[in-house]
Amino acid sequence: MRAAFSILQKDLRMEFRSKESLLAMWIFSLLIFVIFNFTFEVSRLVMLEIAPGLLWVAFIFSGMFGLNHSFAVEKENGNLRSMALMPVEGGQIYLGKFLSVTCIMLLFEILIFPIFIIFYDLQISMQMLMLIPVVLAGTIGFTSLGTILSAIAVHTRNQQILLSLLLWPLVSPIIIWSVTLSGMVLGGDLPASFYSLLTRVVAFDVIFFTISYMLFDFILED
Amino acid sequence: MSVPALQIDKVSKDFGRIIALRNVDLIVQPKEFVSILGRNGAGKTTLLNIISGVAKPSSGSVQLFGTDPTATVNKAKLAVISHEMFLYSNLTAIENLEYYARMYAVSDLDQRIEDVLNDVELRHRRFDLVATFSRGMTQRLTIARALLHKPSLLLLDEPFTGLDQHAIGMLIGLLQEQKNLGRTILLTTHDLHTAKALSERYVVLEKHRIIEDGLMADTSPDEIRTKFFSGLTTEKEL
Ligand SMILES: Nc1ncnc2c1ncn2[C@@H]1O[C@H](COP(=O)(O)OP(=O)(O)OP(=O)(O)O)[C@@H](O)[C@H]1O
Ligand SMILES: [Mg+2]
Repeated sequence: MRAAFSILQKDLRMEFRSKESLLAMWIFSLLIFVIFNFTFEVSRLVMLEIAPGLLWVAFIFSGMFGLNHSFAVEKENGNLRSMALMPVEGGQIYLGKFLSVTCIMLLFEILIFPIFIIFYDLQISMQMLMLIPVVLAGTIGFTSLGTILSAIAVHTRNQQILLSLLLWPLVSPIIIWSVTLSGMVLGGDLPASFYSLLTRVVAFDVIFFTISYMLFDFILED
Repeated sequence: MSVPALQIDKVSKDFGRIIALRNVDLIVQPKEFVSILGRNGAGKTTLLNIISGVAKPSSGSVQLFGTDPTATVNKAKLAVISHEMFLYSNLTAIENLEYYARMYAVSDLDQRIEDVLNDVELRHRRFDLVATFSRGMTQRLTIARALLHKPSLLLLDEPFTGLDQHAIGMLIGLLQEQKNLGRTILLTTHDLHTAKALSERYVVLEKHRIIEDGLMADTSPDEIRTKFFSGLTTEKEL
């Protein structure tokens, strides 16, 4: 755990120091909301239907950005290779990178959510608290997969293309379910299927995380 | 007889059609200081990468202290200085060292960091971002980082790159100190005089093979140059 937390601490320190990626992520999602809000002349009802999808578009793009940035830093001076030389289990390195990418993505989601509420003029209610487990589960699914795939993609020349190619097919069920779950929370009373669907997302998270944790040693070896 | 620090058996390495190493055998005993000499592209860096475990040999085997190079016990003993600096430019010197010290579970962390910063004369810049460092200062920090966990096997790939005369003297001093502490050291360099000053043994790589394995005491830089690097006038071109 000590090693994982050292990685987390280092990453957060660098992220807050440069701020560039946090700011870029924030502006980008602002743009998404602005564009969709003003280009489509649709009724409020339709808008509310697509709002959860837009929210996740903003989340996912920021997540992609965060992932790319987090691993670009590791690639910069051969640092990923230096990690492979350290007397630390691959799983610990995975955990460290996973935690930092997840923290940054969650932080960003907290920043973007108020803007989302304002743009779509949503009623704040107690039920919105149910978004917390939904966003957590969806985000962890995305970052647990994204972290290992980024580490694989770093070794290749067209890093971002490969990352997208590998990531999207695997992560899309989680995203689709997260959008559905968010829609349920924002759309009034929770249907009974809410909890079973949420459990399914959590189950996927656990599977992705466990497999990645165990496989990370092989990925560092290249 | 004790377990060798390094044992390389019939190691070959190719990158697709490019041959980098062919049937290399090398045994290095603990506390030996070996200089690896050879022209550009001879395979020196590839050899060090295979020893450190970051590259896999195409065939043959490598053992450090009797076990696999990637075993955790070996990783903890190993230090690598390579063409890559292994530093985060967006962290300060001291933050980089703290991070490394934690990853290597260095005990007495603050004191150790203080010591290596003094060793490479960077204490006055310890709170500055690595991004603001000059090339030579970055290289000095790379050296500090490598010594942090008191490694027993050092793999140094042209560690003098970018250093001024004073810093070269400083690094020679540090390496002599490491030698006196009983560390095993492999050094690649194009500077034969430095190699002679530091190491008792040298090997020459040429055309992917070790073509000479001898003692520095039996030869001189000039003799090595005429024998293996003839046709070249300056050391720089070697
Ligand atoms: N990643 C790689 N992909 C393809 N070829 C490589 C790779 N690394 C090294 N080589 C080839 O292997 C051979 C040996 O290279 P190496 O870097 O080991 O030489 P070197 O002795 O360290 O040279 P220098 O003195 O220039 O540092 C060269 O022909 C080089 O082109
Ligand atoms: Mg080289």
